[in-house]
Amino acid sequence: MSEDTVGGSIRRSSAIKRQTPQERKRKRAIQIIIGILLLAAYIALCFYVQSVNPKGAFIMIIGLALGYVLQRSRFCFTASLRDPLLTGTTTLTKAVLLAFMLSSLIYAALQMKLTGFGLETLNIGELPGNVKGVGINTALGGFIFGIGAVIAGGCASGTLMRMGEGFLQQWIAIIFFVFGSVIGSAILIPMQSTFLYSGKAIYLPQLLGGWIPALIVQFGVLAGLYLLADWFGKKKSGEL
Amino acid sequence: MKKKKYPFHELFLKKEWSYTTGAVLLSALAMVLVIVAGSAWGVTGPFTLWGGWFFSLFGVDVASSQVFKGIAEYNFWKNMPSMTNLGIVVGAAIAVLLAAQFKFKKIKSWKNVAAAVLGGLFMGIGARLAVGCNIGALFSALPAFSLGGWVFLISIFLGAAVGSQLLKKFFM
Repeated sequence: MSEDTVGGSIRRSSAIKRQTPQERKRKRAIQIIIGILLLAAYIALCFYVQSVNPKGAFIMIIGLALGYVLQRSRFCFTASLRDPLLTGTTTLTKAVLLAFMLSSLIYAALQMKLTGFGLETLNIGELPGNVKGVGINTALGGFIFGIGAVIAGGCASGTLMRMGEGFLQQWIAIIFFVFGSVIGSAILIPMQSTFLYSGKAIYLPQLLGGWIPALIVQFGVLAGLYLLADWFGKKKSGEL
Repeated sequence: MKKKKYPFHELFLKKEWSYTTGAVLLSALAMVLVIVAGSAWGVTGPFTLWGGWFFSLFGVDVASSQVFKGIAEYNFWKNMPSMTNLGIVVGAAIAVLLAAQFKFKKIKSWKNVAAAVLGGLFMGIGARLAVGCNIGALFSALPAFSLGGWVFLISIFLGAAVGSQLLKKFFM
């Protein structure tokens, strides 16, 4: 749905050529066979990776599953931020918020096991998840990233997914994504010694004084955003 | 009476999944990664090093540069984001092929090229400044109770708002 509006205006615009049912069946069979061969080649590669890295094959398969799920469900973080602004639809926004809530629940469990319920054994460095530094650089980077993701028609995961789907625009985007990363890394080095950068992580359970307030704030804000997105979507669609 | 064939292809390979199904499965897979791989799912971490590989083709001495720190020890098959990135591209390709929906989507105009070039550069710069993208600095940070994830969410939303205006004005 959301894809057809902006990023994927190319997707369904191609006129349907007249084909005989046999032709269509043959083309379908060819695609499925290539798909199976590609899967077989990937699994063969996993056997090689396994000889280099004991966790390698497992991670490769999880990566494959991520791509499969992203494509099948048309899940896109960029569209979840862009659609409410551009078309007023919030279905994807709500799905992203749901993913945040589910992940928060599991992260809370994993982290609590390490920190203790009263944060007695807290060591930010060993927490699962990216509890990393936050500073002006985070806000600046996020802002620039957001502009880029909407213009390019896909964020980091979305760009990779669309490459697999055959979008040539994303094959160009990834090349400049890599170049941009080199430029960004070169900018970050001098930035690190200024007030614009902070490597200090801020962990919500520590900041808010315990797990209970952290859980209340985290789930309260996510649920609030979910309600807001639902209301906004219904209002924009004329339901309200 | 004519017997109906079990519509396996339609049901399991062709039918699109709901966003909710996607949300649940992505969360589960991301959690498996954090538990098994020992670090959270990320995408853009190795991009700078990929750039380093490219520059080294032209004889640039990347090993001694601070920008490409870690390139000497970098091994694609020992780096989780590198492997999952490859998996995402191949996994998405397999998904469309098995659904028999694969098609090269050609570039229609120079506007699309400009959008890809500028958008790609912006994403690269942004991800390095924030030390993460929508996955590493958001999906693997916000649910991990890191304030950085929330800051990234607010700022990526503001960026998306500006990007939407630019998209409407220049790239559509």
